[in-house]
Amino acid sequence: MSSKFQFELVALVIFAVVIAFGVPAVMNYDGFELNTFARYLALAIVSMALALSWGVTGLLNLGQAATFGMGSYAMAMHLKLRASSGLPDFMSWNNVSELPLFWVPFNSLAFTLLAGLLIPAFIGGLIGIFMFRARIAGVFVAIITLAFLVAFQLLVINQQGLTGGQNGLTGLAQMTLFGWAFDPYSMGFYYLVAGCVTVALAIGVYLTHSKFGLVLRAIREDADRTRFFGYNVANYKTLVFCISAALAGWAGMLYTLVLEFASPTYMGVSFSLAIVIWCAVGGRESVIAAAFGAIVVNMLEGRLSDIFVEGWHLILGVIFVLVVMFMPRGIFGLLVEGAQKLRTVGRARPGHAVEPLSTTPLETNQER
Amino acid sequence: MDVIANQLFAGLSMASILLMIALGLAIIYGAMGVINLAHGEFVMLGAYVTWALQTHVGIGILPALPIVFIAVALVGLIVEKAVVQKLYHRPLDTILATWGIGIILQQLVRLGIGAESRFVKGPEILSGNTEIGPLIMSNYRIFVIFFSIAVLFVTWRLMTRTEFGMKLRAVIQNRDISECYGIESKRIFSITFAYGAGLAGIAGALITPLFSTIPTMGTGLVVDAFLVVIVGGLGSLVGSAVAAALIGEATALFSIVINDTLGRIAVLAGIILLIRFRPRGLFPTETRR
Repeated sequence: MSSKFQFELVALVIFAVVIAFGVPAVMNYDGFELNTFARYLALAIVSMALALSWGVTGLLNLGQAATFGMGSYAMAMHLKLRASSGLPDFMSWNNVSELPLFWVPFNSLAFTLLAGLLIPAFIGGLIGIFMFRARIAGVFVAIITLAFLVAFQLLVINQQGLTGGQNGLTGLAQMTLFGWAFDPYSMGFYYLVAGCVTVALAIGVYLTHSKFGLVLRAIREDADRTRFFGYNVANYKTLVFCISAALAGWAGMLYTLVLEFASPTYMGVSFSLAIVIWCAVGGRESVIAAAFGAIVVNMLEGRLSDIFVEGWHLILGVIFVLVVMFMPRGIFGLLVEGAQKLRTVGRARPGHAVEPLSTTPLETNQER
Repeated sequence: MDVIANQLFAGLSMASILLMIALGLAIIYGAMGVINLAHGEFVMLGAYVTWALQTHVGIGILPALPIVFIAVALVGLIVEKAVVQKLYHRPLDTILATWGIGIILQQLVRLGIGAESRFVKGPEILSGNTEIGPLIMSNYRIFVIFFSIAVLFVTWRLMTRTEFGMKLRAVIQNRDISECYGIESKRIFSITFAYGAGLAGIAGALITPLFSTIPTMGTGLVVDAFLVVIVGGLGSLVGSAVAAALIGEATALFSIVINDTLGRIAVLAGIILLIRFRPRGLFPTETRR
């Protein structure tokens, strides 16, 4: 077990303890505050999912919001069906007289939960196969995923009778599992979301430190060399896209439960780039740091918008530009560099050569 | 038949707007490998400068063009010197930094001028329509089409017939060797970025009578313009022109066959396929990197 793995495990345990005990205590077990924080936690999962593909593997996926939206709509469709007897209300407004076929299986909760993970994973896999078999890399990955996102959002907005169009899916029922209704303002629901985040992060930490993660990092550093070592780079990239998409879908499902509606803005370009921002601020190399980044930026957004009703977006933009310029590895990078400096100062006794600081992986040979 | 002719003209008009926005992006991306997501906001700034000149100073769109060009180019120059220059060795990070700059510019305009949409009157001389049989063409749109071709020509001259253009092409071919020959690549990049921003400003000025001027108008435009650049091929001016025409016409024609949104989706799908099979675009330029 490497020291980095130990470090991340410790961080994961601290993170889990803080969100399980610290946060509810600070929030005074207030339902509204906990609901807000549960929202940040759901967003933490999607930010962490992006860290897997972007930070670890070097694939900048600007379409992460599309898979997030799929999960969110899957959950919303189930809850909409439960809330309406017969046909959902927006369908009758749009002269849809019969429940469309692809809505029917969403009557089942088990199917919905599976679909929320597997549909995004499947779509992510298709895009992955489509791109990576042709060795599309670097900027072109960003462009293709961005174009896909724009097309997908247009499609969802356009098919008003099937998806609720611009209004999204509103007036949802509460989810019931084993006879327990999920009230988004209850402690139990908060712990459900907190549990999901912890499990998702554990999966992420395990993946990055397994052999699979090692190959992914090798691909980030130099895809050609990894290919020469006999690894099928395209398959690895596709698989990480699938996993990342499934995690994003999971986050989307939770997000719908927290906010009690689904909206096409979840699949917007702005939202997708916001995910990238959270991930960059926290630190793209570590899944925990990325999750932390999502929570920090969103909390900041919440606080700033209270204080500066008008200018908070501006402040956020400035912070973001500064982070990209001066902290390319995010908060995580600051911590790592700080720790390294402490260690080198400790070791730099006379007669010993000072170890060079390791170069940041961001400046190495990125595939172009 | 009438419908198709009119749609073809609408497509051409859209293509000319796309071309002007994309030209600036194309030379910035071609020369520096910088994906400038703030480009849409440069277009927006151009539109607002035009609005300010018309409502507060009383200068019409056409005489305002040089002022808009200089004003937005200056903003571009500042952005380049302050931020983009520091990120040349991290090309993917420029996407993020310029997106952040875009947010800042958008919010500054929102705070300074307000979020409500503004209207700019088109020039008097170009009001009215030209009718050829069943084809009805707005004079202003015809003007924009010819203007965009003129801008393309000027940019092409600049790239191929001036000393600056020669230096720029040298830097694109090989930055290090060019530096050995005494070309200050940093300066070249700054000027290129400013010129690209200025072009975006002019595009913004020209679309004010056609679009409503709001702080978020740039976000949608930049994605389209960027797709034009990628489809056209890295840094290829002719490629950008052809791609703009193709995308404009395809969108216009698809929207007769299906509807507007589905037409746009079909075009996006086509673009994705094209990037998949020709990632270097329709007209790739030979560069050594």
